[in-house]
Amino acid sequence: MIIDMHVHPLLYDAIYDEDGFSSWEREFGMGLMGPMGYDEVLVEMDVGGIDRSVLLPLDLTTTAGITVASNEQVRSIVSDHPDRFVGFASVDPHREDAAAVVEGAFSEGCAAGLALNPAKQGFSVDEACMDPIFELCERFDRPIMFHAGMSWEPGALAVDSHPLLFERAIAAHPSVRMCLAHFAWPWVREMVMLMLKYPNVYTDTSVLYLDSPEESIRRLFTVDMGPLWVERSLSSQVMFASNTPRFRAFKIRRALDQVEMSDSTREAIMGGNALRFLGVRECDL
Amino acid sequence: MVKLETLRYLSTETDQFIKITDDVLRVARESGVRDGLVAVISAHTTTGIVVNEGLPCVEKDLGSTLDRLVPLDEPYAHAHFLPSYGATGNNSCGHIKSMLVGNSCMFPIADGEVVRGGAQDVYLAEFDGPQARKVHVEVIGE
Repeated sequence: MIIDMHVHPLLYDAIYDEDGFSSWEREFGMGLMGPMGYDEVLVEMDVGGIDRSVLLPLDLTTTAGITVASNEQVRSIVSDHPDRFVGFASVDPHREDAAAVVEGAFSEGCAAGLALNPAKQGFSVDEACMDPIFELCERFDRPIMFHAGMSWEPGALAVDSHPLLFERAIAAHPSVRMCLAHFAWPWVREMVMLMLKYPNVYTDTSVLYLDSPEESIRRLFTVDMGPLWVERSLSSQVMFASNTPRFRAFKIRRALDQVEMSDSTREAIMGGNALRFLGVRECDL
Repeated sequence: MVKLETLRYLSTETDQFIKITDDVLRVARESGVRDGLVAVISAHTTTGIVVNEGLPCVEKDLGSTLDRLVPLDEPYAHAHFLPSYGATGNNSCGHIKSMLVGNSCMFPIADGEVVRGGAQDVYLAEFDGPQARKVHVEVIGE
């Protein structure tokens, strides 16, 4: 099973709202891209051989007064195509009802995990408001997808998304699986260090900040990292992801297909690690 | 008389020749124009409109020749992040192939029939699929 662990469903026609979309464009930092029907979304997944896309909302309640795809919208997309989508929830940790939102999303909404972006949402993972959220992730055995590294989103400062900012929380909550997305680019070595030291840390392959997909992924796997680092030491912690709509998933996959690795490592990256991160079996999806 | 209809297609492959001859003929026929022209124009910059013989082997040769002329692994300048989109370009092959094949074609209409050679089919050529695509068909005449 091939799982794309990082998809923002912002262009999905099913949740497209013309007025609200302009605020999504502003907060996410995108434009000139229109809504896509499910037929277009699914055929794009099919071209990439992608069985499931993990959909990430973002709650900006206290910073921007909006959600950039809400938990309810993600849930509705998943209910339309439960065989193709897995939904995460998001919460603004500064909301007074943050814990209730997370508990509701995990218990009633069936969210498979939590999506957070400290730099964009304006919080630190070390703040006290995160304690109940980590406890809920432990209690419900749900992972967290953190944005890390450079973001194109306006207002998301790189200084607030350095991977080392997550280390205390990672160390304090060893039973919570956390993905620091995008290999925390450009801090790839720091990201590698965290994965070496903490087995509950994962990352994803949505790394395309410069060059073509082939050039970017090749550099990631052979220059930013030693060519055998993933094979020898990180094969159980790297997950395939695209960061759609910024990068087209089938192109990231095409680039990964050109990277030399063993069949078992490729299988782990393309889906096996995601299953472990999500805490599910293939037959559960 | 001028009549415009926009046809919609969903390509299902990265590169694909989609035969649209029958749709073009239908629009021309339903326009009521007896003598004039029908123009077929793509709405995109990574597709083309191709007139050629509608055989799978010809489609294969056209596609493979374009692939040779415009290889994927070249240092294209367009391979970078585009702030206006919030997404990466990385579709130069599609833009260049679109330029090579052109984005439109035109046929005369005489006595209510589109005049074309017996081997001429019309294709929407996809070079950056899969995507939802639009083709404008404008019929001009009397």
